[in-house]
Amino acid sequence: MGSATKGKLTFAYMGDVSQQKGFKALFALFNKKFPGITLTAQAIPANNWATFTNAVATKIAGGSQIDVINIATEGQRLFASKGILTPLEPFIKQDQGVVDEYWSDCNPNLKKWNTKYASTDGKTYYMPGGFNTMALYANKDVFAQAGVSLPGSNWTWDDFLSAGKQILSKTGAFLMPAASGATAGYFTDVMPWLTTNGASTFNADWSKATYDSPAAIESANFARGLVEQGLAPKPGGQFDAPSQLAKGKLAMLGGGRWPTINMRDLKIVDKVQIVNWPIKTGHGSPVGWDAWPITASSQNKQAAWTFIKFLMSKEAGEYFATLGGTIVPARNSVAKSPAFTDNAPVGSTLLSDALSFSTPIPSPDRGAECQKVIEDSWLSVISGNAKAEEALPAANSKLNNLLK
Amino acid sequence: MTSRRTLRAAGRVTTSRRPRGHRQPWLGYAFVGPAVVLFLVFIAGPFIAAIILSLYSWDLLTPATFVGSGNFVALFSDPVLGKVLGTTFVFALASVVLHVVGGLLLALAVNRQMNRALSYFVRTTVFFPFLISWAAVSLLWKYVLDPSFGFMSYYVGQLGITLPDWFTDPTWALPAIIGIDFWHTIGFTFIIMLAGLQTVPPELAEAARVDGANERQVFWNVTLPLMSPTLFFATIITFIGAFQVFDPMKIITNGGPNDSTKTIVMYLYEQGFQAFQIGYASAIAVIVFVIVMSVTLLQFWGSRRWVYES
Repeated sequence: MGSATKGKLTFAYMGDVSQQKGFKALFALFNKKFPGITLTAQAIPANNWATFTNAVATKIAGGSQIDVINIATEGQRLFASKGILTPLEPFIKQDQGVVDEYWSDCNPNLKKWNTKYASTDGKTYYMPGGFNTMALYANKDVFAQAGVSLPGSNWTWDDFLSAGKQILSKTGAFLMPAASGATAGYFTDVMPWLTTNGASTFNADWSKATYDSPAAIESANFARGLVEQGLAPKPGGQFDAPSQLAKGKLAMLGGGRWPTINMRDLKIVDKVQIVNWPIKTGHGSPVGWDAWPITASSQNKQAAWTFIKFLMSKEAGEYFATLGGTIVPARNSVAKSPAFTDNAPVGSTLLSDALSFSTPIPSPDRGAECQKVIEDSWLSVISGNAKAEEALPAANSKLNNLLK
Repeated sequence: MTSRRTLRAAGRVTTSRRPRGHRQPWLGYAFVGPAVVLFLVFIAGPFIAAIILSLYSWDLLTPATFVGSGNFVALFSDPVLGKVLGTTFVFALASVVLHVVGGLLLALAVNRQMNRALSYFVRTTVFFPFLISWAAVSLLWKYVLDPSFGFMSYYVGQLGITLPDWFTDPTWALPAIIGIDFWHTIGFTFIIMLAGLQTVPPELAEAARVDGANERQVFWNVTLPLMSPTLFFATIITFIGAFQVFDPMKIITNGGPNDSTKTIVMYLYEQGFQAFQIGYASAIAVIVFVIVMSVTLLQFWGSRRWVYES
């Protein structure tokens, strides 16, 4: 039983101007392989996945016909729970061999999380396409000037502070941003400090907020300490972390795959190395993955499945990684291949290794509101306008209300 | 008249044209049509839709259910509503006072005997920020006031003065945005005031001076009363615009810190497009409309006491 090779298809994905080139080349490859399928790709620019999810929901409400959507963790359970997606089991069954081969090349956690967190009824609505974890991009020159060795994989928060103080005294550079910059937020600033201290914002099944745990409060106080000690710039401005890293005024910045694109644009790939986030109680990182569902209203589900199979293929994964995709490919064989590691900082494979100890970014149904509560309280602590011992319990109470 | 009578007598006028009221009525509809269509599609339609939606519970993704006045009942017991309304009124009132007073003072300064080149320079300088989009203005000021890298922080710091953390301190975030709004939009009020000032007949001020009035008396008893229609217009326009402020709060502070810059329209946006409570957001929209209309009617009622129609 084969998939359709003709028909019209609309695909919505998150992509700003800087990402258009890569996506368009990928779609051109698809059109070349399946000339009978007319693919219309709708790029929706957004600065985070919550905003993208809201934009897609608005489009659907407005009557836009979308067949396949690129949805990240932050919106997967919400969309699955609303009955607007079609279960993929029949399609998986018809191409079991293709799907099995795909899963065998992915970290088993991705398959487990794909139903645990992206479904409310145990059915499979998505095929995951790639993910992001958090690590640190270190400017090797700044470390060398300060006489500080690049950290090993098990460096601790204390090691991190020592390195930062030495870098500050020897070079005047900040160690890293704390809740500053265009991408500052829940995934990039809050969760790394929580997960490396054994904490999270919600429990494992996202049914209860745990943002007021002693470990979470300790994490917030530690991050605040970075600002207090002058190791991080004060939040509240328009801090351009990649540019400051390139200028040597910043030693490190946090990120997943996406800063690699900045490093390429700034031509500093060779000056940068990716290292693990420092640990308090153990390795940790948030992970978010994007995935592809077929909408229930799609008029051409077989063509949609053909497109998803194309996106799952090793060829598409390698092609997109080469073009400058901002995610880590789901396939291990691609994430470890030159397609991903060439023209990328040393240590890029740490991003896929982190999948084994990562925590799926907690994203309950009212995820966008939860995200705002978490970010507001974190910022108030980091900026010194509230104490973690008061702000986080207050936020935790709001989070539990949003779960009701 | 003589010539028309002559022509009519010659039987050449009445037969050459049809009566005015019967001429090509479609032409008038064609002219007014686009404006009417735009009004229906972008103003009347959404307005009616908002009223209808405010009676429903709808999450965008599943069918809407009728809840009657449920959204309004919930709204009036919503503790956030009072806070965001308070913030919005503070912003709007500060905006009205600063713009009307500031715009008038600037206009008076420019309208005085000033070198023409300097006058044009000042006009252009004051009006120029108004031409920049809110997004660009917001990002610009985030750079300028960045607590670590902003040049304002740097240069003022050189004088030994420590500036507050404008956008992360709940005490300063709203005043900072009020200031940025003033810088951005004062040019519009200034131009209105300048135009109003130039309609004041100079001979009236001159007559007052001849009668012995000093400059202050001329301003309070001649200029200001004749400027009152302009002041009234500026007050109404500024209030309506300020009450619907959204862009700077969204871009600069995202409503924070601690919701200190969250306005009613921002709350509407959050409820509609983040919480997916479209019905509830529509109820907020209706409340915004009622408030703006009430305040405007109040201003019209009050204007009978202080606006002089010459």
